[in-house]
Amino acid sequence: MTLLKMDGITKVFPGVRANDQVTFDLAPGEIHALVGENGAGKTTLMKILYGLYRPDSGTIRLRDQAVAIKNPRDAIARGIGMVHQHFMLVPPFSVLENIILGKESQTAGVLRLEEPAREITEIMNRNGLPVDLTARVEDLPVGLQQRVEILKVLYRGAEVLVFDEPTAVLTPQEVVELFKTFRMMRDQGKGLIFISHKLDEVLDIADRITVIRRGQVVKTLLRAEASKPLIAELMVGKPVFLHVDKPPAAPGAVILEVRGLRQRSPRGHLVLEDLSLEVRAGEIYGLAGVEGNGQSELVRAITEAVRLESGDVLLEEQSILAWDVRTRRDRGIGHIPEDRHRYGLLLPFSLAENLVLGRHHRSPFVRGSVVDFARMRAYARESIEKYDIRTPSELTPAHALSGGNQQKLIVAREMRFDPILLVASQPTRGVDVGATEFIYQQLVEARSRGKAVLLVSADLDEVLSLSDRIGVIFKGRIIREFRQEEATKEQVGLCMTGEKRSA
Amino acid sequence: MFFPTLLDFLFRGLEMSAPIAFCALGAVFCEKSGVVNIALEGFLSVTAFTVVWGSIAFQSVWMGLAFAVASGVLMSLMHAVATVTFRVNQIVSGVALNTLAVGVGRFLSQKVFEQETQSAANSYMFPTVLHINSFTFVLIPVVAACWFVLYKTVFGLRLRTVGENPEAADTLGISVNSLRYVGVIMSGVMCGLAAMVLYPSKWVNGMTGGRGYIALAALIFGRWHPVYAVLAALLFGYADTFRIMFESKIPIPSQFVQMLPYVLAIVVLVAVRGKSRAPAADGIPYEKGE
Repeated sequence: MTLLKMDGITKVFPGVRANDQVTFDLAPGEIHALVGENGAGKTTLMKILYGLYRPDSGTIRLRDQAVAIKNPRDAIARGIGMVHQHFMLVPPFSVLENIILGKESQTAGVLRLEEPAREITEIMNRNGLPVDLTARVEDLPVGLQQRVEILKVLYRGAEVLVFDEPTAVLTPQEVVELFKTFRMMRDQGKGLIFISHKLDEVLDIADRITVIRRGQVVKTLLRAEASKPLIAELMVGKPVFLHVDKPPAAPGAVILEVRGLRQRSPRGHLVLEDLSLEVRAGEIYGLAGVEGNGQSELVRAITEAVRLESGDVLLEEQSILAWDVRTRRDRGIGHIPEDRHRYGLLLPFSLAENLVLGRHHRSPFVRGSVVDFARMRAYARESIEKYDIRTPSELTPAHALSGGNQQKLIVAREMRFDPILLVASQPTRGVDVGATEFIYQQLVEARSRGKAVLLVSADLDEVLSLSDRIGVIFKGRIIREFRQEEATKEQVGLCMTGEKRSA
Repeated sequence: MFFPTLLDFLFRGLEMSAPIAFCALGAVFCEKSGVVNIALEGFLSVTAFTVVWGSIAFQSVWMGLAFAVASGVLMSLMHAVATVTFRVNQIVSGVALNTLAVGVGRFLSQKVFEQETQSAANSYMFPTVLHINSFTFVLIPVVAACWFVLYKTVFGLRLRTVGENPEAADTLGISVNSLRYVGVIMSGVMCGLAAMVLYPSKWVNGMTGGRGYIALAALIFGRWHPVYAVLAALLFGYADTFRIMFESKIPIPSQFVQMLPYVLAIVVLVAVRGKSRAPAADGIPYEKGE
């Protein structure tokens, strides 16, 4: 018996066939991974399943019965649950309130909390998902917030559970826990759809793997017949080299020196506590850590003028604390920001304009005080060519590009300004395999050209494969540094939770 | 005569505070659902007229109440249609309604009472208790009810959700728009109740004196919480009462004493800056994902 069968699903958006005759099925007690590049149509398919989009054609069958899913309410009623990539939680509410929301127990409109609390506690025990029901969601770490999302779905009695990149925000240990829960749910006969960019995880947990490219199913593989290179090739349509080839490091002089940084959040918590590190020329220094341990604050202290309690940041032995952002950029600090939409791009502006941002006021892009648009466009065409940015033209607005191409645009801009220090924050977040490969090559290229690279990433595999040295940040300080050759995933992962025992 | 004066101050203060408090409660509902309402002042100036009109026309205070509430609802419906259905900028809609309200009062007064700036005197009012309008005391059960509804009922939980994270509500099958309508309409109802205490014996153009805006200050100072917002309203109401009772007895130019509630509002708002947090989606029109 199949639990779910989506047959011949087609959905056309203006100019794009997001889904083209897609067929996908799910058995009870199965984990079925859905993989594909950004914009391949995974999310569209899942939104159709969840009633957020209506398909132009095609049928959905649940337990061999055709169903029409018009909105999320229908989906929930039919036992379909979705754990969204961006959590759908209400931060100031308690865990319990968040879980019962929309399926409250009541007597004449008055909330009843005891019975749901009992029922949820039971679900927690059965699925290995303990959370304090009275805690406020905003006070919980991301991993626990995700549990709340899963509990929400289970509390609604979901049989088909969709997980949209659930591991993107988790530490390796949390991923292990999540996968335990996955297996428990599978053993109860539930069907899980697992969307991920991380092929190792897919191979670790999935029973079957469906690859989508440009809106079409390329292939559905059994776990036994799948391998990482094969999946990557099916996704991209050509062989992909995920392995990072790096010549041996030849570190030079210290470019960036961070000395004893202390900073408090507006609420008075210490977010950076005597944090020190050095990055040398021709070296990639990777910062590993669970998000929210001071990474963002450290990056801001280097790239922006912020107020610090104490400490110093030096670029080539010169303190930069008094420099404003423009000076910092002019003196050679390049930055790939973690939130490319908010800080990396002017979305409504053209690709050409975005490519010169930060240098737009200087030669060769201005003549007198007038922008030289012809020169700017020529420069943009060169960058598009060299950095393989897929775009209709250099005048296309940035928001029309896919995530991977937006990121390439930013990489192109920062690299072409020829910085001496490149701060790369989550450079491949939400970026597909093809673009990831390219960005990795660029970071290694920067290193070969003698630049100092500070890589901040929540993706531990990325940090481990690219970095020459790895610093683990925990509660605002570097608690341990590893050389690449001595770092293992287990050790660094354990360190990220604050555990220093293995030291 | 210290004690009689003190008692007098206490009760009159309560009466002075009640219109602000009712408006602030209306604002709590409205903004908890995610719609900013700066049109309370306008709502109040309309209901202040309709209460007098309804009472005189039907010779019944209950009809006054019905008129006040109905006109408050009508005004709030305009805000809801503009901001929720058509996703007009909530501040712009509020400014428009405030401007409209000034004209509505004068226009109706001209039509009904044949004079533009004041109505006839109204004698159909709730009885006086302890020298103040007895409707004042309705505030107490209303505050309790508002707190209960917001924090103990399914409706309240969902209303607050819509103001914090409408997208989440949507994915759970909770209708964002209908809850926002209810939230906005509650502010109209509350402005109707506010008019019952404000000055139901006669309408005079401009009589609201910025109480709708003061109510917004109370809302923020009260951290969008019904009980705290009402306590904040009491602070402003008592400041105003103090001004009225004692301005002639204090050797400070009366202009300065008259500023008291307004200066207090500014000082309080500056003092709580950053500490008082609005609902996360307050003021943001909700559009379903593309």
